Amino acid sequence: MAPDQTTAAPVPLLSVRDLHVRFPTERGTVNAVNGVSFDLYEGKTLAIVGESGSGKSVTAKTLMNLLPRSALVSGEVTYAGQDVRALAATGTKHFFGVQMTMVFQDPMTSLNPVKRVGEQIAETLRYHLGRSRGEALEEAENLLEAVGMPEPARRVSQYPHELSGGLRQRVVIAMALACQPRLLIADEPTTAVDVTVQKHLLDLLDELRRDRGMAMILITHDLGVAHGRADDVAVMYAGRIVETADARTLFVDMRHPYTEALLRSIPRIDDPVHHRLDPIPGRPPELISPPDACAFAPRCLYAQADCLDGVPELSGLVGLHRFACLHPTGTERGEAAATANRAAGVTVAGLPVTGDPGGAG
Amino acid sequence: MAGTGHAQLRGDEVLLRVRDLVVQFPAGRRRVVHAVSEVTFDVTEGETLGIVGESGCGKSTVARAIIRLVDITAGEVQFHGQDLADLEGEDLRRVRPSLQMIFQDPISSLNPRRRVRDVIGEGLAVWGDDIGSWSRDRIDELMEAVGVEARYGDRRPHEFSGGQCQRIGIARALALDPKVLICDEPVSALDVSIQAQILNLIQDMKRRYGLTVLFISHDLSVVKNVSDRIVVMYLGKVCEIGSTEELYSSPAHPYTRALLASIPEPAPTVDVSEGDIGDELPSATSPPSGCRFHTRCPRATDVCREVEPATEQVGDADHFVACHHPVAVELNAR
Repeated sequence: MAPDQTTAAPVPLLSVRDLHVRFPTERGTVNAVNGVSFDLYEGKTLAIVGESGSGKSVTAKTLMNLLPRSALVSGEVTYAGQDVRALAATGTKHFFGVQMTMVFQDPMTSLNPVKRVGEQIAETLRYHLGRSRGEALEEAENLLEAVGMPEPARRVSQYPHELSGGLRQRVVIAMALACQPRLLIADEPTTAVDVTVQKHLLDLLDELRRDRGMAMILITHDLGVAHGRADDVAVMYAGRIVETADARTLFVDMRHPYTEALLRSIPRIDDPVHHRLDPIPGRPPELISPPDACAFAPRCLYAQADCLDGVPELSGLVGLHRFACLHPTGTERGEAAATANRAAGVTVAGLPVTGDPGGAG
Repeated sequence: MAGTGHAQLRGDEVLLRVRDLVVQFPAGRRRVVHAVSEVTFDVTEGETLGIVGESGCGKSTVARAIIRLVDITAGEVQFHGQDLADLEGEDLRRVRPSLQMIFQDPISSLNPRRRVRDVIGEGLAVWGDDIGSWSRDRIDELMEAVGVEARYGDRRPHEFSGGQCQRIGIARALALDPKVLICDEPVSALDVSIQAQILNLIQDMKRRYGLTVLFISHDLSVVKNVSDRIVVMYLGKVCEIGSTEELYSSPAHPYTRALLASIPEPAPTVDVSEGDIGDELPSATSPPSGCRFHTRCPRATDVCREVEPATEQVGDADHFVACHHPVAVELNAR
C-alpha cells in the first residue's frame, strides 16, 4: 500500500501523498492545499509551520476528516497501512478520535460549557471503548492526573468556566488521550494561552508523546514553538510545503527564501534593543486562481524570470531535506540571483530591492 | 508583587506620570476585581516604555485608564503636570487628542461602514478649527506615511488586510498630532510576516512625529525590540522596572525570570527550570496577601505572604524591583 516501496526503511505510521483540498466559494475556488506529501513515523513529531492561509490547519482537518462536505479532496492518506479517506467514506465510528486525535487552539470552544469536565472525558471512553459510566469516570480522573491537573478528584466535577485557560487545555489533552491514540494532531495548542502556560503545555505534550510512543503533528505559526519541540519541520506557504527537513537543518541551514525571510522577520530575544527588523515585503498570496508561478516570488528577494514560469517542485525524496526553490538561499545559484537583483534594484516580480539584506547566507 | 512605593519615579522631563493608580471593576455580589493596584511609573518625553505581563495582569487596563477609557478608582495620571484622573467634560475632551491609542484587533477597531479616509479624518473634522488648517492633503500625507496608498482612501476597512488595517489605525491615531501613542498589543493579531512591518512602522512614526510610546504586549521578544524601558506587571502590580538591556540581561524579580525562561527560545541569562511557576493565576477578586506572586514563587517565604514588598533600586540607576528576595543582579553582566 505504501507508494514508496523502493525504500527499505521502516513503514511510516502516517503517509500523505499529493493531498489537494479545494473549497468552492462565491468568489471562486479556494486552493487551500496544493499537493502536500509527507511521512510521519511512530514516536516522532512533525511541526507544520505557516501563516494564516498557508493550509496548515486545513491539512490537519483533512487528516481528521473534519472538512465541510463542500470541500473537494484528492490525494492519498495512509495510516498504518489503512487508506484513511476510504475509511472515512465508510462512516467508521471508532477511528477518528481513537487512533488519531486532535487538540484545537481554543479550549473553550472545544469543550461543552454546560457539562462537567469529568463527564466530557468519560463520554469519549463510553462511546468508543464501551466503558460503564463508573469505570469511565474513574478513568477520567486518572487521565486528568496524567496531564498534570492539580487536584484531579475535585476537577472532574467542575465546569470548563471554572478552570483557567491552561487547565482547560489540559482537559482537552486528556480527552484526546483517552483512547490511547497513536497519532495526536495539535493545532496551535498554545496560541490562546500565556507564555508560562505555553511552556508547561508543550512540555506536557512532549512528555506524553515520549511515554506513550505516540506520533505528533504540531501545527503552529510560531517558529520558536517548532524549534526544539519537533524532529522534523515542514514550512507551508500558499497551500504547499515549500521546505521540509529535520529541525536542526531547517533552522540552521535553510534553503527556501521564505523560511529565511520568516526567521529574519521575527524579533528574537537575543537581538539587541531597537534592532531594525527585516520584514517580508508585500502580503500573503491569493488562494483563488493563483498564477502558475512560485507563490512567494512577488515577495522574494531572489526571484528570477524562471520563478514566474510554473510552480517549482519540491526537490529530492520524501524524508530528506526538500525545498521548492529554483534559486535557493545559501547556494551559488541563490547568491547569483540575489546579487543580480540587488544590482538591478528590483526583482523580476517588480519588488524593489534596496541595500544589503537578502543575500549573505 | 508589591509595587507600592515610588522609588522608581524620576524627576526631570517626565511627560506622563502614573502614581498609585488603582482601577477596580465591580464583579457582582459586592466583590470587586482588583485590575490595577497602586501602580506607579513615569515616562519621559521621547521614550518608549514597554509594559509586559500575562493576561489578567492589568497591563491593558493601565493603558485604558491613562486615556480614561475606564474609570480610575484612585491615584493620579499626570500628563504635562496636569492630573487627568479628575478631568471631566470639556477639559478631558481637550486633552484627549494628545493621547492616542492603537488596538489589538485592527479590523474591529475600524468602523466597517465608513471609508478609511473618513475614519482617519474624523478627528480632524472634529478638531479642525482648533488645530488650525487641515485638509484632504493631511489625510493623504498620513496614509502615505503609514504605507497605504492614498488612492485607496475611498475603500472600506473590509477591503484591506489585517496589516493594512493596522496601518490605517496608526494613521488615525497620528492624525491629531498626539504626544503619546499607546499601543495595546498592536501586532498580536497579525501574521508573523506582517508583524515586523508594523513594528518598524511604529518606530519610524515615533521618529518622524516625535512621539512618546507606551507599548503593551505579552510577547517578550517584541517588547524588547521596541522599548527603552520596561515595566513587568503581575496581577495588577508592578514587579520590576528597568532599562530594557538591564532587565533582559539581569532580571531580578523571580516572576520576570520565570517569564523569560518560558519563551520557546529562552533568554540565555536565565535558567530554564525557573519557568516552572505552575499555571494557575490567582483570582483578581481576592488577590493573595503580601506579595501577590507568592503563591507561585519559588523563593517565597513567610514575609512574602504577610508583607507587601516596596519597589527598591537594584543594580543600575534605572532598575527597580518589588521583591523581598530578588535575584542578585550581576553588575558586570552585559
